[in-house]
Order: sequence, then structure tokens, then C-alpha cells
Amino acid sequence: MTSFVDLEAKIPNNVGLKDDPVIRRALETWQPAYLEWWRDMGPSDFKQDDIYLRTAVGVGRGGWANFGHVKMPDYRWGIFLADPETEGERKIKFGDAMGQPVWMQIPGEMRARARRLIVTQADTEPASVEQQRLLGHTAPSIYDMRNLFQVNVEEGRHLWAMVYLLHKYFGSEGRDEAEELLRRRSGDPDNPRVLQAFNKPIRDWMAFFCFTTFTDRDGKYQLAALAESGFDPLARTTQFMLTEEAHHLQVGENGIARIIERTAQLMKEGVDPRKVGAMPLDLIQRYINEWSSASYDLFGGEDSSNAAEAFATSLKGRYREGDGLYKDPLALNQNYETEIFENGVEKKVQIPLRRAMNALLLEAYHADATRIVARWNRVLEQYQLSERVYLPTLRFNRQIGLYGGLWFNPQGEQISKEAFERKRTEWLPVDADYQYVKNCMIKVWDRGKFANWIAPPPVGINNQPVDFEYVKFH
Amino acid sequence: MSDGPRLVYVCEGGDCSEKGSVELFEELRAQIHDKDSGNKSNIRVRKFPCFGGCAHGINVVVYPDRCFYSKVTAADIPEVVASLLENGKKIERLSGKVEKDVEQITFDLLTTGF
Ligand code: FES
Ligand SMILES: [Fe+2]
Ligand SMILES: [Fe+2]
Repeated sequence: MTSFVDLEAKIPNNVGLKDDPVIRRALETWQPAYLEWWRDMGPSDFKQDDIYLRTAVGVGRGGWANFGHVKMPDYRWGIFLADPETEGERKIKFGDAMGQPVWMQIPGEMRARARRLIVTQADTEPASVEQQRLLGHTAPSIYDMRNLFQVNVEEGRHLWAMVYLLHKYFGSEGRDEAEELLRRRSGDPDNPRVLQAFNKPIRDWMAFFCFTTFTDRDGKYQLAALAESGFDPLARTTQFMLTEEAHHLQVGENGIARIIERTAQLMKEGVDPRKVGAMPLDLIQRYINEWSSASYDLFGGEDSSNAAEAFATSLKGRYREGDGLYKDPLALNQNYETEIFENGVEKKVQIPLRRAMNALLLEAYHADATRIVARWNRVLEQYQLSERVYLPTLRFNRQIGLYGGLWFNPQGEQISKEAFERKRTEWLPVDADYQYVKNCMIKVWDRGKFANWIAPPPVGINNQPVDFEYVKFH
Repeated sequence: MSDGPRLVYVCEGGDCSEKGSVELFEELRAQIHDKDSGNKSNIRVRKFPCFGGCAHGINVVVYPDRCFYSKVTAADIPEVVASLLENGKKIERLSGKVEKDVEQITFDLLTTGF
């Protein structure tokens, strides 16, 4: 079953906007406001340059995206829902509504909760574009610059995807929310973005690659949980977003891998990376610690009644819930066991499973991130170096949840606040680190050339050579 | 687990998607659908975020059969489909390429305690 994709429309879509004049007009009214936001808060400059970008053009068999040079303001931001996986009636696979047909409209009693879930997700999309808006100026290559802009335009598309849901299913409240999404600003003290990690500036490319590795990965897990939703339009919207998200994670993962590779080359040659404007491993480690721990917090408290409600109402499932991997799709009668710390003494606690949904999602995330770090270490191995990077445990540097306000080393052993403070500069970046990285961020915009702190990628984008003209400056 | 679906996971991680895994996913799903439109075989084709065997992508995993196929290309799809729908035999030629611990982590992740 493949839906009709209307690529000629003012807003490309496969949701039948042509036959839905009310929503179409509402979205066409929102469109100029969006473009104005993009102009003001999207990538600063580069508006007249041609960027080699991927544009989503549909779903299903035979390719879903086109590649070509476009100017960013002319990017075709569209609205796409994944096609249903099976034909015929689909059933809700978890929670109290399990076994009921999936909802094509949002049931009244769930409206407020569903709206909050959607707005929280939606807000991160423009926020990250705002956080990254200055990075183009210091791009280490036009290949990387292109990847940055690809991520940015797709975050813009994700905002479109969420705004469609708000307009279509949440009436005037949804329309108001859609406007608010263009009004909040990352880091603005008066009108900040919803989640803390999205108000943190992304000052340099190290931060950008850490953000796409760790923070975008949180986004991936949140989307995956929403992709199980009993509210069908939400499930299918997020399923499609996940395909684009995979590229953002790749940009981060490969970016750090390339930085580590450059560092390893230098170390192998006996050159101190610091002497030549490359990234020493200890500094890379501090960035990993900073961004991974900030991203752990995005999952919310391990014991959460909100998470329990989202699961109970069949709005947000567990990771891969619909695959039938879980023995108990109701998640009743089971506990999740974890440890808490009272006066320095470790104690086991049992959390009723439904209340532990954030913890379960965070565990899946952590396993995934562990694999990424192992992959980075294989680069060091290849250069026959004995140094390794590591991923801090879930207890390290937490502001919220069971470990918030307590002090642990990256390996998860509880320590005193004083001991933590003594080690802080070893574990987390300090101003001197940010300053050093900033000084290394010198733009390299010649075709096929890369800054000295990052290795070239093994292959180019979409089978193009590495020295392809990914950005044509005008 | 015998009454649950058979899950075919196609990696959509960075390296595999660069090699065309999203397209491979769609094609595999479509070919299974063409052969078994009523899904009597109870097979579900899903995407999976990076198994950690990136150097050997495109990776495809079948669960609970514990098949871990690597370096899968579009040309292999008919054989994978035949193995799933007809003979049920593991395709040896595509197996055993990734490190054993990578296989193990993947199957551990899919086997939840809940
Ligand atoms: S990208 Fe496919 S296994 Fe890692
Ligand atoms: Fe996004
Ligand atoms: Fe993203």
C-alpha cells in the first residue's frame, strides 16, 4: 500500500492536503512565518549558496529522497507519513488500549497529554537549528558544511511534520502551539526552548559532533517510542522522521571517529596534537562526558508517573514495543530493579515497570551509545595505540532522576562532592578547553581539503567523491 | 517466543544506510509482501539502528532464528526471501562475518527480561 505523493503542491506531502482545504490553508498561512524564522534563526549566511542536499520526496519502494544542489531557503520542506506496515486494520500493541484498533483521531481525554508529547518533541527541532546557526562559518571542509546544513534543513522538516499534526488534530490549541514553536528561542532567558539541553549553545564543531552523536540519539529513542503510539498519525510521522534522523547520528558518529583518527595519526607519528591544533584525547573525553551526561538527563526521571501515564494511555510505547519482543505488553505485575544511594549506602529499589519506562528507554540508549564508543576505540586500535575513550555510566554528572544531586565518578562509584570538584577539570570541559577548541576552528573551504584536526571521510555523500563540490559559493 | 512474529531487522545505521540499506529494506519488505501478501508467515521487516558490525554492512538480522547476515546487497534479496519463506535454511555464505561479541550483544538486546 503506497500513498500518493504530491510533489507539485506548495507544501509537498503524502497526506492528501489537496483534498483538505482547511488544513492546507492553515499550513500555507504558517509557511511564511516559518520561512521568516528560517531567515532569522536558521544558518547565518550561506543563503545564496548552492548546497548538495538530500530532499525527502516520498515513502516506500524505489527510493525516498533526491540529491541535488539547492539554495537552503528554496528547500522543499514536505510532510510525509510512513505508509502503514500492513494492510487492513491495525491494532494497538501495548497499554490499557491494547487490542483496540489504532486511533485515527486523538481521543478527547488524551488530547492534552498527546499535545504535550508532540510539542516537547517539536520544540527540539527548531531549537537545534538555532543552536547550530553559526557553525557554517568555521566548517572544517565543505563536506562537513554540507552535512551540517543537511541536518539543519531536516530538523526544519521535522518541525513541519509535528506542526502538521498540531494543525490537523488539535484544533485552535494546536495552531497556537505551532505559532509558539516559532517564537521560543534557544537560550533566550525570557522565552527559552522547553528542554534544557536545547538551550545550551553549540559553540564549536566538537560540540556539534557530540550533539549529533548523543543528543540527537536521545531524539531517536524518543521518536522510536512515539513510533509505537496508538495514535496512528503520530506513529507514522515519527517512523518517517527516524529515517532522516539516522543520517544525523551518522554525521556525529563519523565526525568524532574522524577526529579521533586524526589524533591517532599524530600520536603514532609522535606529534603532540596540541602543538598542531588537533584534539588531544583527554579533551575529546571531556566533551564525550559533557554531552553524554547532559543527554541522559533528557530521558527524564527513572521513576516517573508521567512516563507511566504515557504508556498506560497507549500513547508512548517501549523501544520496539510493536515487534512483540516483550512478554507482557501491559507491563503490569512486574518491577524494574535498580539502585539508589542513601547516605553513601547502595540500596536496591523496585520500581513498578510502568513507572520505569524512562529508565528502560535510557538503558536501550546507553547500550547503543556503548557500541558507538567501542567503534571509536577500534580506530585507536587500528593505530596500535593503547589509549581508549570511554562512555560514562548513567550515574555520572546527572542533574535529575535517581542520581541527580549525588556525586559519582564516570565509572559510577559514589564519591564526595569535594572529590568530584577536585576532579572536575579532568572529567568535564573547562573554559580553557572551549577556548582551545575555538582557536582550532579555522574554516577550510577548498574542495577536498580538511582542517588539520579532522581526517577526511573514507567516502563521499551519495557516491560522490570526497572532493566533490558539496557547496558552491556565490 | 514461538508464537511471536519472525523479525527481520535491516540496519539503518550510518554506514549501512550509506550503502543503501534504506532502499534494501523497502525492497526486501516489498518482495516478501509480493510472495506472501496475507503474511501467513508472520514475518515483520523492521529497521534497526546500527548493530555495531558497521565495517561489514549492510547487516540484516533474523530473530529469533539468530541469523546475522553481513555484506548483504540487493542481489541477495531473493535468496534471503527464499530462506525466510521457503526452505528456512540459514544462508551460510552471508553468515559469520562480524565478531562473535557483536552478534551476542545484538541478540541480548532483542531478548528482554520484560
Ligand atoms: S551501521 Fe550497520 S551495523 Fe553499524
Ligand atoms: Fe529531528
Ligand atoms: Fe536530528
